[in-house]
Amino acid sequence: MYEKQILICAGTGCISSGAYEVKEALDNELQKNNMEDKVRVILSGCHGFCEKGPLLIVYPEDIFYCEVTGEDMPELVEQHLVNGNIVERLLYKDPNTEQIVSNHEEILFYSKQKRLVLRNCGVIDPENIDEYIIRGGYQGLKNALDKDPSEVVEMIKNSGLRGRGGAGFPAGMKWEFAYRSQGDKKYVVCNADEGDPGAFMDRSTLEGDPHAVLEGIMIAGKAIGSDEAYIYVRAEYPLAIKRLRTAIAQAEEYGLIGENILNSGFNYKVNIKEGAGAFVCGEETALLASIEGERGMPRPRPPFPAVKGLWGKPTCINNVETLANVPLIMRKGVKWFTSVGTEGSKGTKIFALTGKVNNTGLCEVPMGITLREVVFDIGGGIRGGKKYKAVQIGGPSGGCIPESLLDLPIDFDSLTQAGAMMGSGGLVAMDEETCMVDLARYFLSFTQNESCGKCTPCREGTKRMLEILERITEGKGEAEDISRLEKIAVTVKDSSLCGLGQTAPNPILTTLRYFRDEYEAHIYDRRCPAGMCKELLSYYIDPEICNGCRACTKVCPVEAITGEKKEPHVIDEEKCIACGACLDRCKFGAVKTK
Amino acid sequence: MERFIDPCCKECFNSKDNRCDQFVECCLTGPLCHDSEECAAKRRAIVEKLAHSPGYLEQ
Ligand SMILES: Cc1cc2nc3c(=O)[nH]c(=O)nc-3n(C[C@H](O)[C@H](O)[C@H](O)COP(=O)(O)O)c2cc1C
Repeated sequence: MYEKQILICAGTGCISSGAYEVKEALDNELQKNNMEDKVRVILSGCHGFCEKGPLLIVYPEDIFYCEVTGEDMPELVEQHLVNGNIVERLLYKDPNTEQIVSNHEEILFYSKQKRLVLRNCGVIDPENIDEYIIRGGYQGLKNALDKDPSEVVEMIKNSGLRGRGGAGFPAGMKWEFAYRSQGDKKYVVCNADEGDPGAFMDRSTLEGDPHAVLEGIMIAGKAIGSDEAYIYVRAEYPLAIKRLRTAIAQAEEYGLIGENILNSGFNYKVNIKEGAGAFVCGEETALLASIEGERGMPRPRPPFPAVKGLWGKPTCINNVETLANVPLIMRKGVKWFTSVGTEGSKGTKIFALTGKVNNTGLCEVPMGITLREVVFDIGGGIRGGKKYKAVQIGGPSGGCIPESLLDLPIDFDSLTQAGAMMGSGGLVAMDEETCMVDLARYFLSFTQNESCGKCTPCREGTKRMLEILERITEGKGEAEDISRLEKIAVTVKDSSLCGLGQTAPNPILTTLRYFRDEYEAHIYDRRCPAGMCKELLSYYIDPEICNGCRACTKVCPVEAITGEKKEPHVIDEEKCIACGACLDRCKFGAVKTK
Repeated sequence: MERFIDPCCKECFNSKDNRCDQFVECCLTGPLCHDSEECAAKRRAIVEKLAHSPGYLEQ
């Protein structure tokens, strides 16, 4: 028995901010104090509060330390572990109230969450199957093995679970199609491509609780009559891949993957396929092509994968988070699952909360929570006391939701009605300094770059829309550009082969719907209301601050800046091309914009 | 018995060639195929060693 157990968050975020160094320093300190046998140090999966990483929690008293470093470990060991005193300076301090909090459940970031899928992330050692079993793991699989496949399908249908990978398609219905499809061989494919920029929900689930995903895959396998699965995971996720491989090896050793699982006659094989990181390879038919060794390009549907999928065989493709919900439903039952969420969207959703909020990180919330609660409670509001402007939800395929819709409940249907979509769970908060036209340009540049080129509407349409957006943000917009954008956007949406093109116009359409005045200001007044588009700013030098160091004159490519040495300089607005080089160069803040 | 996969005693028959259908349940509430307080204690010891807080066991 250990006197203390210390969890260090070792999700990719905390690792990059020094979790391994913290672990090494802690181990050394424990050794120096002869405490190795009394204290267990665990590298856990992502605890979610990435903004404050590396995170460290001391149990059983549940003291939550944040932004710890290796150098803090001697003090932490001496003060907390030896003398029993909490190290106050390493505790969380609420940025709004300045209150110091020692228990993580009292921090707003956590208290509004409902961590069901993430229940083990940051709680167990993901490389220890025993911990997963203690927390109820593999009981759902056992329940599924004791049932007829049709009963398992029925349970998932009744649970109302909808796909978390983007479209929100009912998982049970998809399983039923695959179950009813005839075939000597069927596959389950777990989509862990996670190509949305800034999204890390699936990566964190795989890193923090790989067995939950494996268990979900095998339950799906039992339900549809498959004996083999592929997990398609991008090669940029080495830690997720490592932990998956460890989990598969452990489950094989425990007889939970392989031949005759739990003496049920059910055999299962799980393969990992590493993807090369193209966004389009997350689209299910392109993903299948990629597993087959073909170039990752979408294929027309129908036939749907449930009928003709991997190597022409019936295939059920689900997202990581969808599958990680399944063991819980099989273990705790439909009634329990449907008690969380809204009428049309059951359960929870994980979001990667990023952008201009105080608390960035990974959060899991019950469906139906409002955007306001996510941004202002969990996210702690907008950084630097600035004004909230909008959130981009659903990544590059999603849309922008303005302040007027802050009380919109987060569920599949409400978001679609607002012109956005749940997507896989990217949630970027923006403040008053974000230019919405530039935001649309940013997302379009991503989708245009990632368009595989197979179908003309997406290949050509995204390029043309991007050109128009670039021109508008450069101050060269034309009066017809808004109607041109709308026309192309609708055409690309309606006629593209796959979801990439069908959703790529969403950021444009929603910003036009809610922030049309910003487009108009760029085009008609040659003005960027957020003050972000460099070419639309006019630059001047504040004579009170300028000391005539001449640094700006050296970088100005058009010699628009003049003035005597050690005397205030001036910018000739006629000559200035608004490149912003002088602004970047001036160390004194004398160059300003208006 | 360090891990759940280790046999608690000679009575445990779970092996690669003879899988026990109650293995998962047995880890937490076993032994299920024989009566032994000693074997039950071995399982509890694994749980107690890993469970770091009271909330850990609330699933
Ligand atoms: C361009 C594009 C990228 C996608 N990327 C992903 C992805 O990274 N992960 C994912 O699960 N689904 C992704 N999808 C959705 C998949 O095509 C598919 O609908 C999903 O994997 C089905 O799983 P679900 O029903 O569990 O959500 C993407 C779709 C498109 C059009």
